[in-house]
Amino acid sequence: MFIQFFGSYLLSKGAVSAEQLIDAIEKESSAYVHPGALAMHAGMMSSEQIEDVRIAQTHNDKNFEELCVEKGYLTKEQVDELLASQYPRYLSLGQILVENGVFDESAFHELLASYIAENQIKEKHLPGENGETIHSMLEKYCAHIESPDKAYHLEYLNLFLNNLVRFIGDDFTLLRPVTDVSSYTAGKYASQHTTGIYDLTSVLDMSEDTAIAFAGRYVSEQFDEFDEIVQASIEDFLNLHNGLFHVNMSNSYSIELGLEPPAFGSDRMLNISGSTYIFPVLFPFGIVNILLQEPLSQTL
Amino acid sequence: MLLKDSKILIGDDSILARRRLKDLLSDMGASHFIEAVNGAEAVEKYIAEQPDLVFLDIVMPVKDGICALKEIMRQNPEALAIIVSSVGTQQQIKAAIEAGAKDFLQKPLNRDQLKNILAARFDASIDNTLRE
Repeated sequence: MFIQFFGSYLLSKGAVSAEQLIDAIEKESSAYVHPGALAMHAGMMSSEQIEDVRIAQTHNDKNFEELCVEKGYLTKEQVDELLASQYPRYLSLGQILVENGVFDESAFHELLASYIAENQIKEKHLPGENGETIHSMLEKYCAHIESPDKAYHLEYLNLFLNNLVRFIGDDFTLLRPVTDVSSYTAGKYASQHTTGIYDLTSVLDMSEDTAIAFAGRYVSEQFDEFDEIVQASIEDFLNLHNGLFHVNMSNSYSIELGLEPPAFGSDRMLNISGSTYIFPVLFPFGIVNILLQEPLSQTL
Repeated sequence: MLLKDSKILIGDDSILARRRLKDLLSDMGASHFIEAVNGAEAVEKYIAEQPDLVFLDIVMPVKDGICALKEIMRQNPEALAIIVSSVGTQQQIKAAIEAGAKDFLQKPLNRDQLKNILAARFDASIDNTLRE
């Protein structure tokens, strides 16, 4: 997840434009070799084992390497060996931006040094530390949010980003969140209400073209127009993510939440009553917005 | 009972989820499907069609999957029903089993899990596709 936050950091510093960043992300993504492919190439894992871990990943909030160790397919030493053979992805992204002439080497080194220092990124993380660092990066990203539910919002966002990586792709970057929302006109969107101690309406919104591309990735099919399967894909992704979030909340915190069926809407102004936060995620195919709406009584 | 001869009811409000499940079941030999877009319709179609196997989502409009399952079990205590949901919390799994579900599948679905569940319920010695 460091690469997605590095992109966000570069944007916030004005070091890149969104177009320059997306171009570099696409190049980095096409050159990236998944740890599973590395493990297979090194003769450490079979394709069946890799598939088994990929399936397990869709049911667990754990990364590929952790699950490989848990399932006994790789030792911790083998994971270290595999990861040592790759540069951190944010370094590759920065290098591509240098090659593209967006900034020079010395500017890159300065940006990199401040990114690493500000986020306390270590060259090697102990087990569990990676998650802690990402959590603290998310906290910084959400620094302007003041809400009694902030801790839940962070958990929610953390899983949302992981689910984007798992089901849509990791070639995205986070744009600055919008916290003072008074009105919002949605394009193609799904919304779903969570009830219980964490009372939340989540909205997944994007333009029609973005929805077509998003659905294409989600169901691994090519769509040429906005149809009922594209619409169902947006709803299904939100519903799946919210369901997995409920499982996490139940397993990790013994919090049981209720979930209402998702609803779909198109090209209309949303009713903004309580505090609403927008988290825009920039993919090469467009911007995907996740909105978290608190009920009116929750507003500080 | 062969899977290929079974009448299968799929109750899910998502056309995509229904299609994905149908595709997986078709690959395993099934061909006779009935679809319902909410829990109330699932109960109606169960009564009208008397399917051999039922898949139900939990979070659905009009009537949720657990309520629908309870009604189906009242109609036929021997009904073979499987809950398929993304909300696989211990509480929901317990509610599903108590309502009469024979199994619980966590979304996103994967072929192997589905195959294992069906192989245990259907006569795998006859249905070759389930043994592959």
